[in-house]
Amino acid sequence: MTAHIRDGRKVAYRWIGTVLAIGVYIFLLAPSVIVIPVSFGSQYELSFPPRQYSLDLYRIFFSSDSWMQPLFLSLRVALMTTFISTVIAVPAAYAIVRFSFIGKKLLMALIMSPLVIPSVVFALGVYLYFSYLRLTGTTTGLVIAHTMFVLPYALVIISAGIQKLDPNLEFGAMLMGAGRFRMMMTVVLPQLYPSIGAGALFAFLISFDEVVISWFLAGPTTTTLSVKMFSAIQWEISPVIAAVSTILTAISLVVCLVNVMLQKKTDTPA
Amino acid sequence: MTVIASKGAGPFIAPAAILSLLVALVPVIFIFYNSTAGGTSTEAFTSILESNLFLRAMRTTVEVSLLASLLSVVLGYVVALHLARQSARRRAALMVLVLLPFWTSILVKSYAFTIILGREGIINSFLSWALGAEVVLPLIFNRVGVMVGMTNYLTPLVVFPVLASLLAIDPALYRAAEIMGAKPARIFLTVTLPLSAPGVLAGALSAAVMSLGFFIVPALMGGKQDIMLANLVDFYTREVLDWNVASAVGVILFALVAIFAVPAMLLRGKQQGAR
Repeated sequence: MTAHIRDGRKVAYRWIGTVLAIGVYIFLLAPSVIVIPVSFGSQYELSFPPRQYSLDLYRIFFSSDSWMQPLFLSLRVALMTTFISTVIAVPAAYAIVRFSFIGKKLLMALIMSPLVIPSVVFALGVYLYFSYLRLTGTTTGLVIAHTMFVLPYALVIISAGIQKLDPNLEFGAMLMGAGRFRMMMTVVLPQLYPSIGAGALFAFLISFDEVVISWFLAGPTTTTLSVKMFSAIQWEISPVIAAVSTILTAISLVVCLVNVMLQKKTDTPA
Repeated sequence: MTVIASKGAGPFIAPAAILSLLVALVPVIFIFYNSTAGGTSTEAFTSILESNLFLRAMRTTVEVSLLASLLSVVLGYVVALHLARQSARRRAALMVLVLLPFWTSILVKSYAFTIILGREGIINSFLSWALGAEVVLPLIFNRVGVMVGMTNYLTPLVVFPVLASLLAIDPALYRAAEIMGAKPARIFLTVTLPLSAPGVLAGALSAAVMSLGFFIVPALMGGKQDIMLANLVDFYTREVLDWNVASAVGVILFALVAIFAVPAMLLRGKQQGAR
């Protein structure tokens, strides 16, 4: 009898917990999902649900220079950022996991600092510095700043991958006479591809979505998609933004699925 | 951590070290240098401390950040608790519901919220339809909009550390408490809550660190009264073109964030040391 009563209460608590959680899931997901139906609406009105479904907004997006130029710039910046940050992060992650050296903690704090420093502060600093170097408004400037900004994320993901490798294999290769570089290329890298791929994907999305630094560094010819979108939301609220948003959400979904797969293996959130 | 060698790290770490010295350290030095006009004057600081615009932005920043962090800890805890009770497979599937918002661009969210919360947005249209009268609740371009946007952004960040600490609780403790006759509410208050406290603290601190520097959400979902320090940095840089004052606001924002970031980093170090 008593067991019954206690069970009933437990079930009730679980039920309340589930209902509350569903409410929060809806709150979290609503903004990512709502843009999808809106993006298939008409170009003349912004309504939910749309009265008429069409691909108008996508057609406008893909046929107007004022959106395509920023899109291609963003793709270019994100790809270059991904490449450079990965090339820098892989050896750095290896050094951090496998070596101890003087000033390691201090250097780590510095490399990780973009995670903690407000991006507006980082953006202002880079803006002042790049004004001095005449790099504001250039693609190079954007790529350099983004590379620093995404480095900590790439480093964390790749370090986690290296931590799971067996160091004895590396020892073995070096005992057999392989130099560090050869050992890196033939022993470490082949085992590390999944982590490198995930790190690169995250770096790409973070650079592609980044607004604040780009907002400070952008010039008339170097407006990224996120900067264009930021000013578009502020000034015009054009329905085309819904189409852009849906495309961005689709990219996010891909990254999110990779993240889930990664998580299954390690069970630690990114 | 397996350390192979203590020498030879140089070539591996050099590119990252050079990049972070040149592109993370130097910019911060530039801000400090500019805020004091080259170390000679405190004029920028005295002028903002007398400016009502700055004082109001400072108050807004602290108020909004604390409240948004608190709200996101509550919402994040609800989700983490739900996830912790699922089987590993279901948890991985449900994780998508947290990770998709986590990876969604803040611009997409802000834009979506203007559709949801706007004057003729989804909520107001629904209420008008349900009540049969014109309802125009002011839900955006004010404090409410900022809170909704920020809480939405911060909640996933809280879920991760709280979930990690909930999953670390030994299930035997629950069984023991149950066998000894503790009711669910008591088990929650005496076992779950205290043992997940480190995760909650980590989540709350990182939410506070993130929210103090918020720029996009107040710019797109707030009104003129809801300007935060990050927006002020932008305002002084682009509108007023006063780099010294912009840097001084930046330095103050930097210091404010450090108050929360330093304990967060110490906490993380301690947890790693304990493992």
